[in-house]
Amino acid sequence: MQQLVNGLTVGSTYSLIAIGYTLIFGVLGIINMAHGQVFIFGSFVGLILVTNFDMPIAVAFLASIVVSGILGLILEFTAMRPLRKKNVPHLASLISTIGFATLLEEGMHKLFGADSRAVPDTFGSQAFQLGSVQIRVVDLIILGIAVVLMVVLHFWINKTKVGKAIRATAENTETASVLGINTNMVIVTTVVLASSLGGIAGMLIGMTYSALIPSMGMTLGFKGLAVLILGGVGSIPGAMICGLILGVIEVFTVAYGASSYRDAVAFGLIILILLIRPQGLFGRKA
Amino acid sequence: MEWLNPYNIQVVTFIILNCILAISIFITLATGQLSLGHAGFMSIGAYTTSILSKNADLPMFVAIIAGALMAGLIALLIGAPTLKLHGLYLAIATLGFGEVVRVILLNMEITNGALGITGLKSLGTYIYDGMKAVGITSQSLGLSVPVIKSLSTLVFLFLLFLVVLFLTLRLNSSRLGRAFEAIRADETAARAMGIQVNYYKMLAFIIGSVLAGLCGGLFAHITTAITPTDFNYHKVVEILSFAVIGGTEVVWGALFGAVALTALPEVLRGLAEYKMIFYGAIMVLVMAVRPRGLIGSDTLQKLFRRGSKKQNEQPKGVE
Repeated sequence: MQQLVNGLTVGSTYSLIAIGYTLIFGVLGIINMAHGQVFIFGSFVGLILVTNFDMPIAVAFLASIVVSGILGLILEFTAMRPLRKKNVPHLASLISTIGFATLLEEGMHKLFGADSRAVPDTFGSQAFQLGSVQIRVVDLIILGIAVVLMVVLHFWINKTKVGKAIRATAENTETASVLGINTNMVIVTTVVLASSLGGIAGMLIGMTYSALIPSMGMTLGFKGLAVLILGGVGSIPGAMICGLILGVIEVFTVAYGASSYRDAVAFGLIILILLIRPQGLFGRKA
Repeated sequence: MEWLNPYNIQVVTFIILNCILAISIFITLATGQLSLGHAGFMSIGAYTTSILSKNADLPMFVAIIAGALMAGLIALLIGAPTLKLHGLYLAIATLGFGEVVRVILLNMEITNGALGITGLKSLGTYIYDGMKAVGITSQSLGLSVPVIKSLSTLVFLFLLFLVVLFLTLRLNSSRLGRAFEAIRADETAARAMGIQVNYYKMLAFIIGSVLAGLCGGLFAHITTAITPTDFNYHKVVEILSFAVIGGTEVVWGALFGAVALTALPEVLRGLAEYKMIFYGAIMVLVMAVRPRGLIGSDTLQKLFRRGSKKQNEQPKGVE
């Protein structure tokens, strides 16, 4: 039971990361291989504000969101938009985002060093008892923020005008632009939104593990990808639920003694799911 | 003869090894598939070879071939379920595969975990032993033993590279090569013309993986020590950048990429530290400006048209 709570906490951050991939895939039909590096970069900037300049954690969140968003914007203008014009092979955007990711990751090593940085314990180690389960306040806050964000996002996509434009663009970019939707604007909005969501996820993960490492961008990005495939490419509810599932499975793997295989769990699941149900748990058949 | 030292020779050796790697990813890309598992296949080749030659005492060449075949076998298992899906699935499945392999290698006893396998017999020693057996020694050649060893490795690798290159060129102008080309241009159209798309895609994926496995085995016996970190995601990006920066349409593009990107950090010392940043930036730039790579089939045509026309009647694929 205790493990379940821990798993859900970690899993909710995976969900947020996977939603970033899903949003971009939905609108652009590409996988943004730089997503992990983008948001970890943002989170690192936020973290440095806290550790080096004694800013409150809320400022760190804000900085992380803003920096991730800006990096998303740069990514869109350098690695994505130039490839949308002509008759470009469909793998080109995958490759250019890999290039961007490499650039960011190595840049982080040079700027921040490759070592891990501790995230200060803002909420103390307070915990309260719920039956036999002990819940840390931090975990509750993480879970709370993640769930609220997902609910808001769900309504935003389904009920607002911008959300409708995003869905229309995802359905068919050309038709959407014929109908008077500024699809370029929608794409920019989506990329920035996805990156900023990642920025929040990155900070939350920093709080869960009490530390951030530049190379986490890669491992967390990979986990987001795993969730994406698991939930069915392009499905937002799939990403939300499968993120939680992955978190729980990982925590149980560690609890049952196979801790060194933790990072292989996500991809073991992908290979399994591709064998049994290639469209993902919540995906539609192509 | 000052320049003929083991270090310089090794740099050239690695350029050639990277050329074979570039061909391996080129063949997979030739059918429009992106495999991010090449480092994984390399590591399978490397570890299979090392374990066979060190623990089972098999002859080195047998072990290297076994390593390559092992990589091919695993590619068959990974490829079967994923090749039927959109190209993105193969990219992510192979990426995941590479990570799973790395974690397994880190945790197995026979692979010695993070420390890796060390103390392998080097390819140069192996060849030199053979040379001594037929009566050629360092005295008769007038070179020092380390130079002979690294030089013989280089020559061996270069010959192997020529064989691989020859086979690739033959492949490109064969029925198989034309099928690959058709699939890359338009999968649906290729299917409509009666090309068994899945079969050819699988074949390309397996050939690429076997070559990667072969390089892994060679790598192990050139460096004489391997660890799982030698085959991480960075290695994937590195191999990929050879082909995509150089060009994915003709094999010369991929080779150009491998030579240029391996040699540049050696020539410009300051660049070595920022190697990966440099690779990343160039990848973004090239994709934006020339998404088919620096050297495409049009570049070659221009080049040859300017030169003598008669000599170069070789087919350059479709169109």
